[in-house]
Amino acid sequence: MPVAPNTVQPAIEMQRVSFTYPSAPMGGVAQGPAIENVSLSVDPGERLGILGPNGGGKSTLLKLVVGLLDGASGQIRVLGRSPAEASRLGLIGYVPQRVRAELEFPLSVRQVVAMGASSGLSPWRRMPRERAAQVDRAIELVGAESLRDRAIGRLSGGQLQRVMIARALARDPKILVLDEPMVGIDVEGQRRFASLIERLSEEMGLTIVIVSHDLRTVATGCDRVACLHRSLHYHAAPGGLTPAVLAEVFSHDIEGVFGEVHIEAHRAEDCPDPGRHHPHACDGHDHDQGGTP
Amino acid sequence: MRTIEYLTSPELAGLYWPGVLTGLIVGVLGGLLSVLVVLKRLAFIGQGVSHAAFGGVGLAYLLGVTGATQAGAGALLAIVLGFSLAAALGIAWLSGKRGTRTDTAIGVVLALSMALGFVLLREAGRRAAEAGRAAPPDLESVLFGSVVNVGWSDALIGGVALLIVGALMFLLRRPMLFWAFDEEACEAFGTPGPRMKLVLLLLLALAVVVTVKLAGIVLATALFVLPGAIALRVSDRLASVMAMSVLAGVLGVAGGLVLSFELNRQGGPMIVLVLIALYALSACAGLIRRQSPASA
Repeated sequence: MPVAPNTVQPAIEMQRVSFTYPSAPMGGVAQGPAIENVSLSVDPGERLGILGPNGGGKSTLLKLVVGLLDGASGQIRVLGRSPAEASRLGLIGYVPQRVRAELEFPLSVRQVVAMGASSGLSPWRRMPRERAAQVDRAIELVGAESLRDRAIGRLSGGQLQRVMIARALARDPKILVLDEPMVGIDVEGQRRFASLIERLSEEMGLTIVIVSHDLRTVATGCDRVACLHRSLHYHAAPGGLTPAVLAEVFSHDIEGVFGEVHIEAHRAEDCPDPGRHHPHACDGHDHDQGGTP
Repeated sequence: MRTIEYLTSPELAGLYWPGVLTGLIVGVLGGLLSVLVVLKRLAFIGQGVSHAAFGGVGLAYLLGVTGATQAGAGALLAIVLGFSLAAALGIAWLSGKRGTRTDTAIGVVLALSMALGFVLLREAGRRAAEAGRAAPPDLESVLFGSVVNVGWSDALIGGVALLIVGALMFLLRRPMLFWAFDEEACEAFGTPGPRMKLVLLLLLALAVVVTVKLAGIVLATALFVLPGAIALRVSDRLASVMAMSVLAGVLGVAGGLVLSFELNRQGGPMIVLVLIALYALSACAGLIRRQSPASA
């Protein structure tokens, strides 16, 4: 899969981003930062897997990127814009981890997918024809045509996930981000999911970011992997993920040991051109392999 | 038929029509809002907001605002609305803080305004007796409502409230529905979730206040829960759920008022009883619908 030329603006760019949740007022224990000093750059059309243990800050990172959380220090740009603006313009589609939606709502699959395309519409008019067509296209893309009129509460886990992906695709975004997409999905559903992601990436050129605690989810079908446990521990092609790196990322003793972004030194030789377009990625060292190994 | 007599005889029509008209308006309001109240589990918030009206009524009478005149009715409503809005915002604020649960927040606000309302009303009664002024309304009519206490100014205010609620719900239907369906993710799609929650709470406060005089503080919430609950039993399509809910609200009020006139009983409790009978019917209908293979 070709990576866009160097002059192209990154799809997502994070520079020294840290985020701490506000602590609970009543006797809450002061919490450390959820993510700390993370620099990361995602190329247009790239498939990035973010791997890390539960509670390692993956979802926080994703929520910052889609504008669900704000107040992070450092800089986050999504196609050159702020996350909130990118969300409003429909540049980025988000598939949440667990669906916390109210599934007993009297809504059809078509209505739920159409919500994804609803922002910025005039309240006086019906949805314009082009947007409605994109909603139908999104439903077709995920193979949910036969479910169109089904009530949203009457879907299996895998079906619901596809509908949520369709909702994220309903405004024809440039970037798709998915939080733990494999959790609670059966084997058949996982197979369908993998081929869907491949199609979205190869046929439509979408930039795709998948967050998971499961190595298999990110190692197959991702161009690069970023390992996150509060800070970034690895950011390169999945081929270089050694047991040592994984042990480090998933170790619970790691907190407080690495305050700064830490990169395995031997990865530097993978980097073809250290001075490339995102000089701040990986703490000043670029470890982009530049494509699928 | 006493109903026909009440509504057509020249002497009585002026006494009953404002209440009937306000009742129908409130039926539509309840129908519009109750679907979201049920789906978002805001029934208890509605309870908190309507009970807050009690504190407002107490304060108004203590200040000598009785609602007997046109201006008085407006002032009374403004004070009660102020209390209810404050309660809605207080609940939203308290429950928005980490570490306070929504039901705790409502419990606190509800108890506070009931205690306050009772103390203030008693104090107002004492002062009115000392000064030789008209006594404040009895607790019963404040708590359970009264059709004949509703005047034309109340009907007018009800009409304005219906316009505001209807217009905002139409204009904000997309973001409101998205927030209601998926509160956690909607902001990632550019839908301002917290603002939608605030708008719904304010609309609910406005509608409850308009309802309180007719149905009483204790029973007002029934109108903002039951129509939606009835409609959701019999349909799972949004458009028909909304239509059914408005229909159930209007039917409940109309049926309740007719019963209250015919049986010479208070309006509020009759409305609630009719709505509950409709709910029982819809629950049966829903059971049958779910068991029939056609809808499976």
